[in-house]
Amino acid sequence: MAALIIECLIFTRTGANFATRENALEIMKLSVEIGLLALVMTPVILTGGIDLSVGSLLGLCAICFGKFWRDAGISWPMAAALTLGIGALAGRMNALLITRLRLPALIVTLGSLSLFRGLAEAITRGVDNFTGFPTHFLAFGQGYYAGVIPAQVPVFAAVAIMVWLLVHRTTFGRSFRAIGFAPEGARYAGLPVERRIMLAYVLSGMIAALAAVIYVARVGQAKADAGTGYELLAITSVVLGGTSIFGGVGTVHGTLLGVGVLAVLKNGLTLSDQPSELAGILTGVLLIVVLAGEVVLKRISERKTSPRAALFTRKGG
Amino acid sequence: MKRHFRELSVAATLALLLLLLAFTAPTFFAKQQLLTTLTTAAPLLIAACGIALVVIARQIDISIGSQFAVCSIVAGLLAKAGLPMPVVALGAVTCGAFLGAFNGALIAGLGLPSIVVTLATMVTWREALRWWREGEFVKDLPEGFQWFGFGQAGGQVTILVGAALVFALVVFTMRHLAVGRFVYAVGSDRESARLAGLRPQWRTFSVFVALGGLVGFAALLNAIRFADVDPKTGTGLEMQAIGAAVVGGVAISGGRGNLWGVLWGVLLLSCIGPALVFLKIPPQWEKAIQGAIILLAVAAEGWKNRKQS
Repeated sequence: MAALIIECLIFTRTGANFATRENALEIMKLSVEIGLLALVMTPVILTGGIDLSVGSLLGLCAICFGKFWRDAGISWPMAAALTLGIGALAGRMNALLITRLRLPALIVTLGSLSLFRGLAEAITRGVDNFTGFPTHFLAFGQGYYAGVIPAQVPVFAAVAIMVWLLVHRTTFGRSFRAIGFAPEGARYAGLPVERRIMLAYVLSGMIAALAAVIYVARVGQAKADAGTGYELLAITSVVLGGTSIFGGVGTVHGTLLGVGVLAVLKNGLTLSDQPSELAGILTGVLLIVVLAGEVVLKRISERKTSPRAALFTRKGG
Repeated sequence: MKRHFRELSVAATLALLLLLLAFTAPTFFAKQQLLTTLTTAAPLLIAACGIALVVIARQIDISIGSQFAVCSIVAGLLAKAGLPMPVVALGAVTCGAFLGAFNGALIAGLGLPSIVVTLATMVTWREALRWWREGEFVKDLPEGFQWFGFGQAGGQVTILVGAALVFALVVFTMRHLAVGRFVYAVGSDRESARLAGLRPQWRTFSVFVALGGLVGFAALLNAIRFADVDPKTGTGLEMQAIGAAVVGGVAISGGRGNLWGVLWGVLLLSCIGPALVFLKIPPQWEKAIQGAIILLAVAAEGWKNRKQS
């Protein structure tokens, strides 16, 4: 939270037009896709898993959407629905490998990252891209309601509210955290662990597909490299927002803050005429500083309370 | 036989692929082509060995692609500054070791999760490099840089010999030297290792440094194949290296895996690209096929484990 405020202050000084309403809405508009990915990444990480394939899945879904619409002649709403189905299927595939075969989520999603991106490249033969979408479709990504609010923001808000409710107000959400905190304990408590994990990944896949459709609407074309690197930004947002990478601890509003921090960072740097690479560098540095800071502060406080408590500190890895 | 099931099945798959190629596209085995395939695979082998060490120790490092790029540029710049090749080699390795040490300090020293730390360093190094070089290649390298000055044939042999020596060294260390066995110990049960007096923090730290050094060496072996250095090199290396290691039987849960399996994994994944060209399949399928193989390999392992438990 503090980081966000500090950022805003800095950029108001250095950036042209930073602290304007239009800019705030622009920031929201551009961060919708990553925000969506980060939102659904939260339940996945809460269960102690991870999904490295969401960026590639976004690319694959974008391509599928383009192909359905252009080569199969399907109307774009149907194509979008089919794409959501593909996303859900992909999530289900990941989940099956993770739950049925007890494979580590890291490796499974690393493999599916390659697979999805590879399929996207193979389908387009590396060069094809889909353009020329109808204007009322493009309005979803580029239009504004009442001339002010970007069209995709209400969608994002709706998903954000939905995910927040799911994680914080339903038993599903509590079970996610329980599974992440102690998978065996959750099993003994009678939770259908596999089904809950499957829900998290399928949701992740579906929302990735939604993000893909929004991306295509915003950018106006569907290319195979869509979404490259998005998974990293999504994970960074989630971790910055206070969710532990090991699961069991975390909040959706934290993730939203994390998304905000990264989006403001990128936007502020661009408006301050800084090179885009700086955003990446500062993101990495910020991540390390925040995490290291947490550990250091915890150690200091533990050393103060009791020497014995310091002995039982849980270390990562 | 059972103990080495994974390594043997990967070797068998490789043999099948080679057999297929022998019938459908025998020019794959032409001396020059074979040499090129192997020299392209050599840097990956070294990097995969390094990543295998880290994975056996129950960590992960997805920043090696960026480390690779940085070390390559450093090697190029050192050569351009007129330093002799052995110094350039040392420089590349040291650079890698430093980058590895940075990761290791955060992971072993502060106990931060390796996936997050290496995620951060991957992005940071890559973006910093891009900012610094602005996409510019390192050009006008001295004569002695490409192929170590031996010309293509001699250079390729040098690369293969260098890679083989380092590979042998790592295999020997992991199998016969205590320091290697301790990595397995730390990976399979960190707490027991600590109680046994092994100081897992130092072991973890040194494993990341070792990975860095090996990546630096791999970067050098790769860089000298060309007349200039591309700052975008190494993209996707982490996926390929981890994929090769996992296909070769290194378990992500740590404590298991041997480097011969990594060798077969590297060869298998490296042969797919050229094989596609010779089989007249569009090259864009390479990534998809690699991903599928990784998933199949891991799934097979998981299925086998499931039947046992």
